[in-house]
Amino acid sequence: MSEYLLLLVSAVFVNNIILARYLGNCPFLGVSNRLDTAVGMSMAVVFVITLASAATWIVQTYVLTPFDLEYLQTIAFILIIATLVQLVEMFLQKSIPTLYRALGIFLPLITTNCAVLGVAVLAIQNEYGFVKTIFFAFVSSVGYGLALILLTGIRERLNVAPIPVHLKGTSIGLITVGLLALAFLGFAGMVH
Amino acid sequence: MRDLIKMVVVLTVICACSALVLSFANQATREQREYQVLKYVKEPSIKAVLTGYDNDPIKDRVTLKMGTDKKGKPIRKNIFPAKKGGKVIALAYGSAATGYHGLIEVMVGIDINGKITGVSIMTHTETPGLGARVVEPAFTGQFKGLVLSDALKVKKDGGKIDSVSGATFSSRGVVTAVRQALESFSKIKKEVIS
Amino acid sequence: MSVAREFTKGLWDEIPPFRLVLGLCPTLAVTTAAQNGMGMGLATTFVLLGSNVLISLLRNVIPKKVRIAAYIVVIASFVVIVELSMQAYFYPLYKVLGIFIPLIVVNCIILGRAEAFASKNKLLPSIADGLGIGLGFTLSLTFLGAVRELIGAGTLFGRYVMWESFEPLSIMVKAPGAFVCLGLILCLMNWIGAMQKRRQG
Repeated sequence: MSEYLLLLVSAVFVNNIILARYLGNCPFLGVSNRLDTAVGMSMAVVFVITLASAATWIVQTYVLTPFDLEYLQTIAFILIIATLVQLVEMFLQKSIPTLYRALGIFLPLITTNCAVLGVAVLAIQNEYGFVKTIFFAFVSSVGYGLALILLTGIRERLNVAPIPVHLKGTSIGLITVGLLALAFLGFAGMVH
Repeated sequence: MRDLIKMVVVLTVICACSALVLSFANQATREQREYQVLKYVKEPSIKAVLTGYDNDPIKDRVTLKMGTDKKGKPIRKNIFPAKKGGKVIALAYGSAATGYHGLIEVMVGIDINGKITGVSIMTHTETPGLGARVVEPAFTGQFKGLVLSDALKVKKDGGKIDSVSGATFSSRGVVTAVRQALESFSKIKKEVIS
Repeated sequence: MSVAREFTKGLWDEIPPFRLVLGLCPTLAVTTAAQNGMGMGLATTFVLLGSNVLISLLRNVIPKKVRIAAYIVVIASFVVIVELSMQAYFYPLYKVLGIFIPLIVVNCIILGRAEAFASKNKLLPSIADGLGIGLGFTLSLTFLGAVRELIGAGTLFGRYVMWESFEPLSIMVKAPGAFVCLGLILCLMNWIGAMQKRRQG
């Protein structure tokens, strides 16, 4: 039990996948302008990362390793993720159209989000079992969502603040993320 | 309909070509990759337990099949020979035994007469400050020059090895691993030098 | 545009990740030292070049509906080749770059260029495009890596170059330093861009 608690704290605060591990940057800055888009993206990310990590773990354990095909990990994983996202899109469009419209363009964009592939590969590298992998994926993506929502809150305030023209936009966004990362660095001593 | 066939065919051909190219790349680089992994992971330990050689023990490694594991797959063991002037003067290989907290992996160097040339701890999960101190030269240096005898035991069990204070289990674990390495020495020596 | 122009645009006008704001993930992660930035840049350039070439050659063969899937297979294959080659011949760099080598496959630059350029242009311009943007990326990564290494550790390409009493600002080689540094460089580039525009009148 304590292992899982440790994993939770570690994944959300100490090794936050965006603020400490640099995964998932591209959409991070593009989506953090408005709170409702940020929340939508966070939900989509949590959903996809958790599902994808489960699927990739199964393929790694039952297909890649037994047949000595570990060198194909990258190509297999990315194909699984791309297919999964496509399937999820089709499913949501037919069954839960409101959610589909709320997530909008973020869903297909998640395929190229380094966080998805990153978390899947990390789970294998850390040699987690199936349940731990799902848990790890879930809490890591929650950590991502947390960072995203925090950043968006700050940026919404920044938008109405007087900033020198050259710093506007991505530039100040990055500096803000840096300060956020600095704050989270304070958690580094928590987990031995 | 024709569109669908074209899509399937193109994708299949691309995937097939990819699979072919990658499997070729995998085969072509396999040896070199194994060498690199061994070099960076094991070389420090190997260098710590062997002396006076003029070859590359990792390049000259011999892989032996020693028994099978729980799933019935053969266990492959890498033996790293130290040579001088083309003749084998010592062998280095890994061994493992349970310490206090978990498995302790050691690299043992043994010369052709069965005398230990060095012991180096590769991995362990012992308690820092206590059992972890088995990695210190003050402990591992004690094994040099010993052979498989009753002297090769901790003092508590009637041998000559001073265990790390407060870490008898960890010390015993290392001793067990080293003894196991020596026990299989004659068999390994025969297969490598043949 | 002439072939030469296709090449040079990647070195300033559309240099990633500063002007062409793509490929941020590896940018922040591997630029802890100039050498690492350069290594990652070259690996990415190899994949970009390979994928641009192949996709340009196959642009009239791949059906539109499955093009993304096809591109992914091509790009991922090149990434695996890079992975295997680095593991075999550049092991220390491979260990340092770690998880970001397979992540080249989701580097938006590569998929972006495949979709925006290679699928619509002939072979030679595609080669120029891939080479230019790849080298531009390599320059950016090496530069950012050099800045972070210099201030954060006092070394450059592994060699100690700062003065004796220099106290490294080690925050630079950690996450916060990366973000702030990139943000400031971006600001600088915006400023230079504005100055250029003013000069051109």
